[in-house]
Amino acid sequence: MTPTLELGWRHRSRRILPVLVVAAIGLAAVACGDDDSAEPSGAGGSESGEGGEITVAIVGNPQMEDISALTPDLFTAETGIKVNYSVLEEGTLREVVTRDVGGGGQQFDVVMIGMYEAPQFGANGWLTDLTPYAEDDDSYQFDDLIPTVRDGLSVEGKMYASPFYAESSFLMYRQDVLEAAGITMPDNPTWDEVAQIARTVNTDDMAGICLRGKPGWGDLGASFTTVLNTFGGTWWTATDDGSVGEAQVDQPEFKQALQFYNDLIQDAGEDDAANASFNECLAQYQDGKVAMWYDATVAAGTLEADDSPVKGKNGYVTAPVKETDASGWLWSWALAIPQNSPDPDTAWQYISWATGPDYIKEAGTQVPGGWAAIPPGTRASTYEIPEYQEAASAFADATLEAMEAAPIDDPGTTPRPGVPGVQYVGIPEFQDVGNRCTEQFSSVIAGQTDIDAALSACQDIASQVGG
Amino acid sequence: MAGAAGARLGVGERRWVNAVLGAVAWLATLLFFFPVFWMVLSSFKEEQDANTSPKLLFSPTLDRYHDITSTTSGLLSFREAFFNSFWVVAVSTVVVLLLAIPAAYALAIRPVPKWRDVLFFFISTKFLPVVAAILPLWILARNLGLLNTRLVLMILYTGMNLPLAVWMLWSFFREIPRELIEAAEIDGAGLRGQLASVILPIALPGLAATALLCVIFAWNEYFYAVQLNPASGSTIPIWVTTNISTRGNFLAKLSAASVLACVPVVLAGWLAQKRMIRGLSMGAIK
Amino acid sequence: MQLDTVRQQPGAALGAAPKHDGLHRPWRQRFPLLPALAFTVLLTQVPFVMNIWYSLTDWTIVPPTPRTYIGLDNYRDLPDDQFFRDAARVSVVMTVSAVLISLVLGTLLAVLLDRKFLGRGVARTLLITPFLIMPVVAGLIWKNQMFSGLYGVVNWVTARLGLDSIEFVSRYPLESIVVVLVWQWTPFMMLIMLAGLQSQPAEVLEAAKVDGASAFGTFRQLTLPHLRPYMELGTLLGTIYLIQVFDHVAVMTGGGPNSTNIPYFVYQRSIGGGWEFGKASAYSIVVVVVSIVVATIALRVVSRLLRGEQIA
Repeated sequence: MTPTLELGWRHRSRRILPVLVVAAIGLAAVACGDDDSAEPSGAGGSESGEGGEITVAIVGNPQMEDISALTPDLFTAETGIKVNYSVLEEGTLREVVTRDVGGGGQQFDVVMIGMYEAPQFGANGWLTDLTPYAEDDDSYQFDDLIPTVRDGLSVEGKMYASPFYAESSFLMYRQDVLEAAGITMPDNPTWDEVAQIARTVNTDDMAGICLRGKPGWGDLGASFTTVLNTFGGTWWTATDDGSVGEAQVDQPEFKQALQFYNDLIQDAGEDDAANASFNECLAQYQDGKVAMWYDATVAAGTLEADDSPVKGKNGYVTAPVKETDASGWLWSWALAIPQNSPDPDTAWQYISWATGPDYIKEAGTQVPGGWAAIPPGTRASTYEIPEYQEAASAFADATLEAMEAAPIDDPGTTPRPGVPGVQYVGIPEFQDVGNRCTEQFSSVIAGQTDIDAALSACQDIASQVGG
Repeated sequence: MAGAAGARLGVGERRWVNAVLGAVAWLATLLFFFPVFWMVLSSFKEEQDANTSPKLLFSPTLDRYHDITSTTSGLLSFREAFFNSFWVVAVSTVVVLLLAIPAAYALAIRPVPKWRDVLFFFISTKFLPVVAAILPLWILARNLGLLNTRLVLMILYTGMNLPLAVWMLWSFFREIPRELIEAAEIDGAGLRGQLASVILPIALPGLAATALLCVIFAWNEYFYAVQLNPASGSTIPIWVTTNISTRGNFLAKLSAASVLACVPVVLAGWLAQKRMIRGLSMGAIK
Repeated sequence: MQLDTVRQQPGAALGAAPKHDGLHRPWRQRFPLLPALAFTVLLTQVPFVMNIWYSLTDWTIVPPTPRTYIGLDNYRDLPDDQFFRDAARVSVVMTVSAVLISLVLGTLLAVLLDRKFLGRGVARTLLITPFLIMPVVAGLIWKNQMFSGLYGVVNWVTARLGLDSIEFVSRYPLESIVVVLVWQWTPFMMLIMLAGLQSQPAEVLEAAKVDGASAFGTFRQLTLPHLRPYMELGTLLGTIYLIQVFDHVAVMTGGGPNSTNIPYFVYQRSIGGGWEFGKASAYSIVVVVVSIVVATIALRVVSRLLRGEQIA
């Protein structure tokens, strides 16, 4: 037995060594003759095809997926400009884009940013002013943009990002369930009315209402801040020059709003509320586990899609209010050109197509979801397309109404610091404060933290800003 | 008879005990594997089915796999991500082994003075939170023009896995009987010869485990990859996360992407575990 | 006894290699180590030093302010930061429980899978799979499909047993994360233990059997001591990796008083929204210093690994 074994070991080691040597050579070859498909960033319109090549960073939502699939046929074929998309998850997109744009990284020719960042980055001088491009470009139809959306992306009249997709918030509800309970939803309801309806229709099998509870300035933060606004509360006061004043988390209105929100969830809210954001509520609503849902207007497109179990059963009404006239939020994913981009003209050509009225018309017949799945909320002309009016008849009017009424300049009962914003405060620190405070509030919703402790912790966090 | 920590039982009893223990092993395996099984199941579902009450019976579809593997020009395709991942992982693992095997030799078999401090230094390099390291690394990579290249990940993953490889190989090399090394030296073998004839064959299970772990860590590494290579040179983990959306359910698609992403590493795992067979070390050099 | 011949004595004995021997000139001894050492020093110390530099400034990117040197101010504020202390507490609990539980489970599984049985290769490969799944995906699958109060498999099973559904991730965030971590890292421990078991030569076990030892006795007196350095190795490596857990926290709970650990906390201070690189770097340096202190104690005092003790 021993001789065979001996041979076995030596035989094997003879095979290992050549492999290692080959691998080492391969390493040298690969490491040196690297990357033709992985060149240090496509930024800069390098020539490939007649028109050039650009790199665009986007978030992976359905409308963005659609346009990235259609770009080769609808855009590259026409203009010869090749578009390379980097699809990033929302949090990562924010990290990467902020660092790139703020640090002069030049990794991207066009970046997708939100309404929160656009005015701030614009004011910092990190973005190219798009207004001259937009005004000179006839096909873009600058005046067609919905005014609130355009204002939300502008600073002092200069538009720094062009809206691709926009949403507000409203209340969606199961008409059949409310009818069966003998309830009629009023137009422009108040939060007290909605809370009462929710508690009335709440059963073991079907919760009254689905409200976001997941930590995050854009999750629970967005939903709760609109409630806070309309309850007369706010995060900070504003000094005369618009900068941050005192933290207002310890004020009675703030506690009132949070208490109301939490009580409604505990009494009539969805399961696992502390983990619920848009997707979780969507799943539960479609499953018939909740009767009402306060969230983004874009949800309607999914609820009324052909394969939706609740198609045709829903009513849509404005976001509930208390002390203000309107409370729906305003959000947009928009395309911007970083300041030191080497080829802003090519970048604008892409933006003009992607956010122009023609793409919307073309997309209607080509995207898998049909007319109801086109990017909503950015242009008035969208709502005049007959096919869209038909496909989105259940919610198109409500959406347009919400977009136009979003109180971007005057969200609450007191002035806010920073650039305008409804469901956030337009200061750079809000992202962090919002994240950490909503962690505390979400913990309250989960029953893990006492509400006063959470408010006190949040006041500490918020007080570290400003001064 | 090798491989069984046998007992002095009768033949019939031994078979019974073996059967029971084998059954227990399979029970544990299936329990652990269940969530993975569920993920594979989800990959064949419609999103409606994947985001509702657990369903074992449903009409399966390959649509999710079609969705994620359809190649659109301008989007990161599975093929491109796989190609990038494959090269980055293969090269970094090979380099790690090339560097770590001699280092482990120098720390275990003929230890240098202060070998303890060297070992400690290696492990201490992993104390810095990854999130802190990314900023200097990003700045360095940008200044060297290495952003969005495969090379930067190859370098980073090598550095990331070296401490692990050095420590693991060191602990396996320590096992090797002194007499065998000395016998090889008497035969005139230098470092390379000793490695080939004595060390690597005996430490093969440990070597396989180390290589496998390096492959796994490099293959699944997401943070550095997405921060440094978002635009090009993107790897499989980035490709998997392109399926995550905040405005629509995606668990079925994500499951399908994850299944595809796991297949190569499962193969590597299969290969590695085949090398993990208890051997007869004393017989090697006689 | 045969067992004696198999024992080796690294460290203590090998370290005293005679220096007059022609083969043992010091540079020749050190040479195999140099490439790995040089590579590591270059790649890891430069970012570390840069972090020290950042921690002495007040660098923030958003809002953009010029970076000015402020000395140790960032460190001065640290001890009062209650959130940092919470994160440290969560980190310790999360890491210790995950490491210990996965170590025990991994060892048990390795022992089970060491023996021959039908389909052993397949079982081993299947058992590795939890470790192969990306942390982001694992976190999402467990949160939405296993733990979910409404739709989770776990609650589906407990409902069949007549129990109420539990919202695991909301009510027990830390425990839920630890469960997923254990699920993913037990295969890691198992791999190390398995390789350790395999490195115990079969002759030793044969000899013990011939000498009349029972299975349990063999295990207790031969295998377990043999495994002990591997368990310590697994603990060390597991701790190093589990301290850095980030994706699970981000994806399963999004943070919170009972789930934000140190990496997630530092992330929030820097690129996760705070954009205060000076402060974040200060936190990181503190973490490194504390880790070095703890590791030194653990390795030199508690562990056999670096004491150069015998194996087997």
